[in-house]
Amino acid sequence: MTRLLAHDAILVSMAVVLFGIVAVPVAMRTGRRGLLPYAFAAVYTNFFLVSVAAVAMVYALVTHDFSVSYVAQVGGRATPLLFTVISLWGALEGSILFWAWVLSMYAAAVVWINSRRPGNLVPYAAATLLFVSFFFAILLVGPADPFGAVSPVPSDGPGPNPLLQNHILMAIHPPLLYLGYVGMSVPFAFAVGAMLSGEVETDDWMRITRRWTLSAWALLSAAIIAGMWWSYEVLGWGGYWAWDPVENASFLPWLTATAFLHSAMVQERRGMLRLWNLNLVVGTFLLTILGTFLTRSGIVSSVHAFTTGTIGYYFLAFIAIVMLASLALVAGNSERLRSTGRFDSAASRETVFLLNNLFLTAFMFTVLTGTLFPLVAEAIKGVKVSVGEPFFNRMSLPIVVTLLFLMGVGPALPWKAASKAELKAKLVPPAAGAGLMLVIALVAGARNVYALLAFAFAGYAAFANLREYWIGMRARRIAHGEGWGTALVRLVGGNRHRYGGYTAHLGVILVAFGIAASSTFRTEYEATIKPGETISLSGHTLRLKAMWGREEPQRSVVGATLEVMNGSMVKGTMEPRMNFYPMSQSPVPTPAVRSRFLGDLYVNLQAFRPDGSNATIRVIYEPLVPWIWFGGGVVVFGALIAIFPTGRRTDA
Amino acid sequence: MTRLLAAFAFAALGALGAVQQSPADSVLEARTAEVAAQLRCPVCQGLSIQDSPSELSQQMRSVVKDQLRAGKSPDEVKAYFISKYGEWILLEPKPKGFNVLVYLMPVLLVVIGLGWIVVAVRKWTRPPDSPA
Repeated sequence: MTRLLAHDAILVSMAVVLFGIVAVPVAMRTGRRGLLPYAFAAVYTNFFLVSVAAVAMVYALVTHDFSVSYVAQVGGRATPLLFTVISLWGALEGSILFWAWVLSMYAAAVVWINSRRPGNLVPYAAATLLFVSFFFAILLVGPADPFGAVSPVPSDGPGPNPLLQNHILMAIHPPLLYLGYVGMSVPFAFAVGAMLSGEVETDDWMRITRRWTLSAWALLSAAIIAGMWWSYEVLGWGGYWAWDPVENASFLPWLTATAFLHSAMVQERRGMLRLWNLNLVVGTFLLTILGTFLTRSGIVSSVHAFTTGTIGYYFLAFIAIVMLASLALVAGNSERLRSTGRFDSAASRETVFLLNNLFLTAFMFTVLTGTLFPLVAEAIKGVKVSVGEPFFNRMSLPIVVTLLFLMGVGPALPWKAASKAELKAKLVPPAAGAGLMLVIALVAGARNVYALLAFAFAGYAAFANLREYWIGMRARRIAHGEGWGTALVRLVGGNRHRYGGYTAHLGVILVAFGIAASSTFRTEYEATIKPGETISLSGHTLRLKAMWGREEPQRSVVGATLEVMNGSMVKGTMEPRMNFYPMSQSPVPTPAVRSRFLGDLYVNLQAFRPDGSNATIRVIYEPLVPWIWFGGGVVVFGALIAIFPTGRRTDA
Repeated sequence: MTRLLAAFAFAALGALGAVQQSPADSVLEARTAEVAAQLRCPVCQGLSIQDSPSELSQQMRSVVKDQLRAGKSPDEVKAYFISKYGEWILLEPKPKGFNVLVYLMPVLLVVIGLGWIVVAVRKWTRPPDSPA
């Protein structure tokens, strides 16, 4: 019943979507604009119908309706309610349904907010979003049908992938990721809309697009950080980023979207880089589809790639169609995409934005090449090679330190042209920040050249960005006699784009410090100890108090209770565990983390003797890791400052 | 309860394969870590055997350590694993033959991009009335 209702909802939505896709160009070509409200209604109806399907799936999951194929695949009566609900995105078919749902929601929001805007931009953008929706609807009735019939109906299911039901962050990271990922479809839709309606030279679409990109970018940033946190809290290896293909897939569009947020300013100010910006928007969208293809087709084996099947060909065909259509549109608009502006001087913020775009693009290209290379090598040379962490670290570190440096130079340089004196006054003082961080890093024992450069340039950028606030606040204090607090609020409120951007920079710098410190100064020790014995690392002493076991409805848990010692005093306890799920061959580690401002004590239970007489414990001290999570929050806060509409915009 | 027993029995296998910590020879530890970080855990998703907490990785780490202790060089240890698993076991492809491409292409992009920026900025900062 639920199954048929949901299945039919998707089928009907396909008809509605097709109508919308046809109605828009017909209305435009024949001048029957009276058709447009019906096309917009198709967008809302699609949202309603996909919502029906998604809610029906959640209902089927919660009521353990194992006649639905997806429920039979991921459901389980022993799974706690929360993890039952979120297994909506726990496997291929459900995640495609969730994607389609988020996309239909975005399309409805785009029409809702912009439908009264005159011109052809919004109708064409809506039709583009419907076109993407149609692709996902095809997947939902074809290779990724979650509503298949199961006969005979099983009495119970295996439950979701143990890795996905082991931590609460699985309720947060995937929705954020989908909101960010799918959100990149909106800028793409406006780019296509602008080209189809011949409005690319108006720059109006750019203003709309920039806001949508910023929201999707903020969500994607939050999702990447949440994913790192999940990896840290669940996989038990003490790291947060392994350059796994799935992680790379989430990172690629983030890089091009970041590049776009910067280069869009050059277009707004100087009327330049139109073609390039269009490419970034289309490229970002393509990277989200490519990322979904890589992770969902099972072509690159990875934790999140659950399947192998024909779905890969659908994705490849869709990517090819989008690329060809975009190329044709860009070619058709080449006259309108001519750059009108010029630069006043090479010593200007514009130039730094060009370099920023080059290195962000190079970063994306490096990660993309590295991720795809094993496939290419196997296809062309027939050899299996791995491209992993050592490669990505070696290749990306020079790019990362360059970007950190540019992040300090960009905000310090004015638009148009900087005089020699100005350059000196702006670029020299932040060197104090660089020197300070360099000394701290050297004293702490860092010797690796990239680690030292990362600390120095992050210090440079931190100084330069904080200085912008300080200069602005001081000017307001002198001009208006305001207190520091009032000056800060009014300064940021008066130019949210600019100071939101600087806040996001500060967040990225905090993340950079966290990553640099935790990868440079991480110490670890592993030992097998008996109850009552201690293990020590970097001044931290842990005593194994006891081993214990516990039965839970969906799993068995084995844990160790360790006391954190300060001399003979007990400061606290930590309980690393291993969770055994019936459907999984190997246990899911659940490390214990004790977070302090300067770092985490991270303890994982590696192995134990079944009689509880000893345990192998890995202790890792991870400096500044909490700064990564906090920095991620600051990045999102910065984006929020910039997203909220500005009443009066002043160019400081 | 049987499930818990089974779980304990399973974990016992892990305990047998686990590293039995001798009084720490920190130099050997560091050399082991360096080699282990370059070898791929065959049952994980792109983690090195140094990072992975899996049972197999723990066993492979102890093989690395034993071989280093017996006087093999890091390259010889890696060669041993390549002979068992193929070059796939290296987390970073050897920069020779076809593999050079993956190292070279990003560098080429940066070089071409920098060249393009120099030419473009020169063109765009030229006074508008001068001949192009």
